[in-house]
Amino acid sequence: MSSFVFAWYSLCRQPARAVLAIAGVAVIGALLFDMLLLSQGMLISFRGLLGEVGFDARVMATSSMPMTGARVGDAAATAAAIEALEEIEVVIPMRIDQAEVVLSERRPMDFTLVGSISGHGAWTVIDGADINQRKADGDASTIVVNRNLASALNLSPGQTVTVRSECLGRRSILPTVEFEVVGIATFPFDSESQLTAAATIADFDRACGGEQDQADLFLVASRSRVTAEAAVEAIQQLRPDLYVFSNDQLVDRFERVGFSYFRQISTVLATVTLTFAFLLISVLLSVSVNQRFAEIAALRAIGFGRRRVAADLVWESGLMVSIGGVLALPLGLALAIWLDRILKSMPGIPADLHFFVVQPQAVLLHIALLATAGALAAGYPVYLASRLPIASTLRNEVVG
Amino acid sequence: MRGAIVGLTLIIGLIGSGILATSGPQPASPADAVGAAGVPSSVPDVLVSRQLLESQDLRIGDVVDLSPDPTAIGARSFQIVGVYEPVPDPTRFSAQRLEARLHLPDMLDLIADPDDPQATEAVDAINVALRNPAEETTFSRAIVRRVPGVSVRSTTRTDRGNPFIVLEQFHLAIAIVTILASTAFLLALMVMQSDERREMAGTLRLIGLKKSRVLTQVLIEGLIIATSGAAFGIVLALVSEEGFNRFFQWRYDTALVFVRISPTVAWQCVAMSVPLGIVASVVASWTLLRREVLALIRR
Amino acid sequence: MSTPVVEASGLTKTFPMPAGPVTALRQVSLRVDPGEYVAVSGPSGCGKSTLLHLLGSVDTPTSGTLRFEGEEISALTDARRSQIRLTRIGFVFQRFYLLPMLTAWENVELPQGEAGIGKAERRERTAELLDYVGLAHRAQHRPSQLSGGEMQRVAVARALANRPRLLLADEPTGELDEKTGEQIAELLDRVHADGNAIVVVTHDATIARRAGCQLRMHDGIIMPEGSG
Repeated sequence: MSSFVFAWYSLCRQPARAVLAIAGVAVIGALLFDMLLLSQGMLISFRGLLGEVGFDARVMATSSMPMTGARVGDAAATAAAIEALEEIEVVIPMRIDQAEVVLSERRPMDFTLVGSISGHGAWTVIDGADINQRKADGDASTIVVNRNLASALNLSPGQTVTVRSECLGRRSILPTVEFEVVGIATFPFDSESQLTAAATIADFDRACGGEQDQADLFLVASRSRVTAEAAVEAIQQLRPDLYVFSNDQLVDRFERVGFSYFRQISTVLATVTLTFAFLLISVLLSVSVNQRFAEIAALRAIGFGRRRVAADLVWESGLMVSIGGVLALPLGLALAIWLDRILKSMPGIPADLHFFVVQPQAVLLHIALLATAGALAAGYPVYLASRLPIASTLRNEVVG
Repeated sequence: MRGAIVGLTLIIGLIGSGILATSGPQPASPADAVGAAGVPSSVPDVLVSRQLLESQDLRIGDVVDLSPDPTAIGARSFQIVGVYEPVPDPTRFSAQRLEARLHLPDMLDLIADPDDPQATEAVDAINVALRNPAEETTFSRAIVRRVPGVSVRSTTRTDRGNPFIVLEQFHLAIAIVTILASTAFLLALMVMQSDERREMAGTLRLIGLKKSRVLTQVLIEGLIIATSGAAFGIVLALVSEEGFNRFFQWRYDTALVFVRISPTVAWQCVAMSVPLGIVASVVASWTLLRREVLALIRR
Repeated sequence: MSTPVVEASGLTKTFPMPAGPVTALRQVSLRVDPGEYVAVSGPSGCGKSTLLHLLGSVDTPTSGTLRFEGEEISALTDARRSQIRLTRIGFVFQRFYLLPMLTAWENVELPQGEAGIGKAERRERTAELLDYVGLAHRAQHRPSQLSGGEMQRVAVARALANRPRLLLADEPTGELDEKTGEQIAELLDRVHADGNAIVVVTHDATIARRAGCQLRMHDGIIMPEGSG
């Protein structure tokens, strides 16, 4: 009878113990799996989100996030100069500011107003049409709103909203501007409850009291034959006073500043869960061996060597851990959905950003870590069993 | 005395809490401000955060140029009169706290748009301490009614989306999962222990002891084990609390306390673990005792 | 003269105890020839089981030599001694020590698999042994479903699985009633009649009487013949 089959029989002789131990391993394994997903999940998701938008570099006036005050002046000329570089395909300026929808019988509703150029992926129209430039002074300013804003105000294409912009830095209360809602759009970096709308830059400036010729950031797409790093370098050489980040650099910065807490906590919790699993399996097996001393002594007496007894125990541990580990995967996925939902309720987290992202490496690492913990957990029980004094154990069993 | 053009775009009150612009020379927070106070000079004063002082290799007494523009347009000189430790902010603990504090008029002079006549009359926020904190809601409504366009936010009430609350929920979820796993293992161990005592339990029943009597013994044993285990767990948590805090405070260069075992938390843990241990012990033993006596003693 | 199956010379076994060392065996010498049936009896604590454990290389002597089929085994490695126990010695215990999660068939088959015997041969040998002990019809029953006597018969079958040169039995009827003990005694007679050497430690006169050589131990030594 092979060690594997023997271990299986040993596990099955106490089904309650086996089921509970496997359940324990499954739950703790699920937590371990989730911590492995968390360790890289948000970065992978963020990188994916940046890539989906379709731009591979961002240009700003400072190293801080947009809307923190400093803007790039002479925006039109700056955009033209950057776009003239041979490495660059397209440059999209963006203005972002807070505004409010003025309502007749309610408190004004705050929202984020984006000013940019349509048709380049900064937002995606899902209903109606996209914003367009006013051809004459009498033409209405157009705006697209996100789903949240549309449902909050019961808006649909064709309706009009009255907007007052706050225009950071301009402390005076500005006059309101009428916008015609032409479409409903999704904005990739919107959080679950965020209210966002987009207009042309000209209309944005109009809401701010006149032409500003400023930009909070430029979205840059490099030419297909050029790497993002080459594009970044070219822009930096053209304008050394500006801050240029490729997507990778943004992700790297995000990892160092915004994400590092989750990386730390996932490492700490993964270590704790592994230690927990190791200790518990080791205790379970040790207690089991203690209960089977006489049986083990008898096996040794009839000729089972130390290695065989050790192999039986390692397989027993391995079976518990591997069955539990496999069950841990679907359990972990369900747990990840729950934890993701909790963490995403933090303000400012884009709705399409996830903290837990399944990757093959995480699954493999999960298997490897659990297997190692299982093998190590059998260490003490194996020591107990292999060092068992056969004769005195048999003698004590008779006397006892 | 060193002068240096610090081409920083200091985030003066524009990221989250930002600078709490003061109207007086004293620091606006419980944080200590240490420095050469009362140095007579025509150059206005500035307090800098410890992190800023260290990162730019500054010293108290240095004169620095501050500008809100990346090209240093409109830079003005300030003398560093002190250094302070920023109040730890859980929502920004990983951000490097490169901050400075100026007198409000100095700050307005620095950042105000000369084209905007209202610029020197505007601030980002006004902190209000009520005589009676219970009147917070009434006060908020009154302000919103009287001053259109103003947003009033409570600093004591925490809404569901508060990052700190979210992290608390996250950690609670982790704790629940850990408890579930522990319960499974605990039950497994108790089942094994019960099985080991099968013969003893059978013998006791054979000589006439009732099930309840045997279970009472099990209950007492479970209570002792559970209480000892809970006490050990608390001690272990207290020991590791110090380790966690030291590590994260070093890692993020902050005074924020990350882990705190309060008496409430300790009592919650005891309240959960002791009954759990007792119940596991009793349940495992009950599955044994409900068998026939002879089945217990037969090998 | 044929090589003895096992030969002990001057065996001494001392156990260190907190209250002082206890010598369980003192200078015991013993020789068991092929096909010999030896019964060792004596009062509790006289060293009978200790002697059996040494003969079966389950334990090592403090001093003295032990030869199994001419090979000095007292100083062998644990792995080598295990191998000898597996392939050349069969053990029967007072408390049977059958594995509770295995059937009678699997208990008998277990040592054969460990000795590397092929599947077909194992199957044949296991069936033969269970038939030999009269339990072919209970092959698929677990120990908990067998009586004490039946369990001991399965234990005897297991002990014979790898065709040992020597069968060692430690109080084989200790946990059985008189009638069942008689059945086990008859089974051991058959085993002996088939040419196996047996050393049995027993209080049971029924078994002791059947042995060709009866030894009496007292206080760690084998008493001379004719004494007590």
